[in-house]
Amino acid sequence: MDEVASKIVDILKKHMKEPRDDIALSTELQDLSIESLDLAMIVFDIEDTFGIEIPYNANEDVEDFKTVGSVVDKVRALVEASSGGAAAAKA
Amino acid sequence: MTETNGRRRVVVTGTGVVTPIGTTVPEFWDSMKQSKCGVSELGGFPLEDLKILIAAQIKNFDHKARLKHFSRDKIIMHADRYSWFAGAAADEAVKQSGLEMPVADPYRTACIIGSGAGGLTTYEEAYRNLFIHNKRATHPLTLLRIIGSSAAAHVGIEYGIKGPTFATCSACSTATHAIGLALEYIRRGVVDVAIAGASESVINYGTMKAWQALHVLSPEGCFPFDKKRNGTVLGEGAGILVIEELEHARKRGANILAEIVGYGSTSDARDMVNPGVEGPSEAMRLALLDAELEPEKIDYLNAHGTATAINDENETNAIKQVYGDHARKLAISSTKSMHGHPLGAGGGIEAVACIKAMEENWVPPTIGLTDPDPACDLDYVPNKGREMEVTYTMSNSFAFGGLNAVLVFGPAPAA
Repeated sequence: MDEVASKIVDILKKHMKEPRDDIALSTELQDLSIESLDLAMIVFDIEDTFGIEIPYNANEDVEDFKTVGSVVDKVRALVEASSGGAAAAKA
Repeated sequence: MTETNGRRRVVVTGTGVVTPIGTTVPEFWDSMKQSKCGVSELGGFPLEDLKILIAAQIKNFDHKARLKHFSRDKIIMHADRYSWFAGAAADEAVKQSGLEMPVADPYRTACIIGSGAGGLTTYEEAYRNLFIHNKRATHPLTLLRIIGSSAAAHVGIEYGIKGPTFATCSACSTATHAIGLALEYIRRGVVDVAIAGASESVINYGTMKAWQALHVLSPEGCFPFDKKRNGTVLGEGAGILVIEELEHARKRGANILAEIVGYGSTSDARDMVNPGVEGPSEAMRLALLDAELEPEKIDYLNAHGTATAINDENETNAIKQVYGDHARKLAISSTKSMHGHPLGAGGGIEAVACIKAMEENWVPPTIGLTDPDPACDLDYVPNKGREMEVTYTMSNSFAFGGLNAVLVFGPAPAA
């Protein structure tokens, strides 16, 4: 797991009643007993950590929030979009 | 007969509303007849970085014109907007009731006007002044504007009400709890008359940000029970009733609009945002039991119908559980599709919709309902209101925190 992924796993763990150490990219958020309010707080934490805004509506089932990996992908895309060419050049 | 099982009967003699689709009851009703939508582009303050850019705001409310005759309450003009709405709605209800003001028997009158949040816009303005503009002090009336009981106090002062005067606070069930409590006060003989309902005006930058962070607002519109629904739309306004003991109303020759026959109130005690079926069902059942009515007697149900994914499906399931086969015959609508979600004031405005429906034998529609969600498969009176015989109505209010309150209205008792 790269830095983005491990930061996101840390945020997920912070919001879990019983944090687990076996969280993988393929883990489904549903299996982590993350409920709608937890998700709102997780989105907020991720936005703060990465300086991005995540489009999310609790009324919709969003593919982006299905697994840990899909969240990581979404965040990575948003980080790249927000920092534009500069980040791409560094990478 | 003036008592049911030795219980004093309570009737409605006045109604008042301030809503985005009409700032008096006749305008509000006329708008619903035209299936008018009160949702519009958000405005009135700098939108800055807001993502949700719609709301059901009241754009044509002139508090100076509506409250200029207030004489006992000297400072309502300087109050928060939520108190203005309460003052105007109470004034309309009092005028319709024909009660002489100040009230003749002040200690036998109650004034219960709730608010989900009180003067939040005053809060925001005061804190901007302190924290951003480094002002040395807040406006002297800031505290009085903010407190959630100020609307009840203003109205109580104006009408000389000296009995129980306070606000209820239960988020989106606030008004229904206020009316339910007032009903119980009159039944138990604590008072004979009450002004009851709620008022809300919280549409400002900070509140929009807070709702946005909860991710439950729709960026497009309020579409209860539709497949495309994707959240609620914030509204504002007030809905207030004048209610009184049946004999008290008869003695003064009042025009009785309806009877409040049942009230039920429960809490899910389960989750802050995810409602259960049991709490809402039990509140409806208790209201029917209180009214001594079989579910089949209800003709129209004004749903809580917020257009969030979870509420509308959950409410539909709760209605099915309470009403059984009759659920499919029942005319149900969410008038929030037209007036938006006025939070604490919702139950007051929707109580007026129920009372008007009985008076005119016409039920208001759920607008924007073009593609029903298969999980919401009852008769929600889509898009156009309906003429039908309406004898008994039910109004549902379900709030964040799982706080449920339900009222049942019936016809004016035969003389």
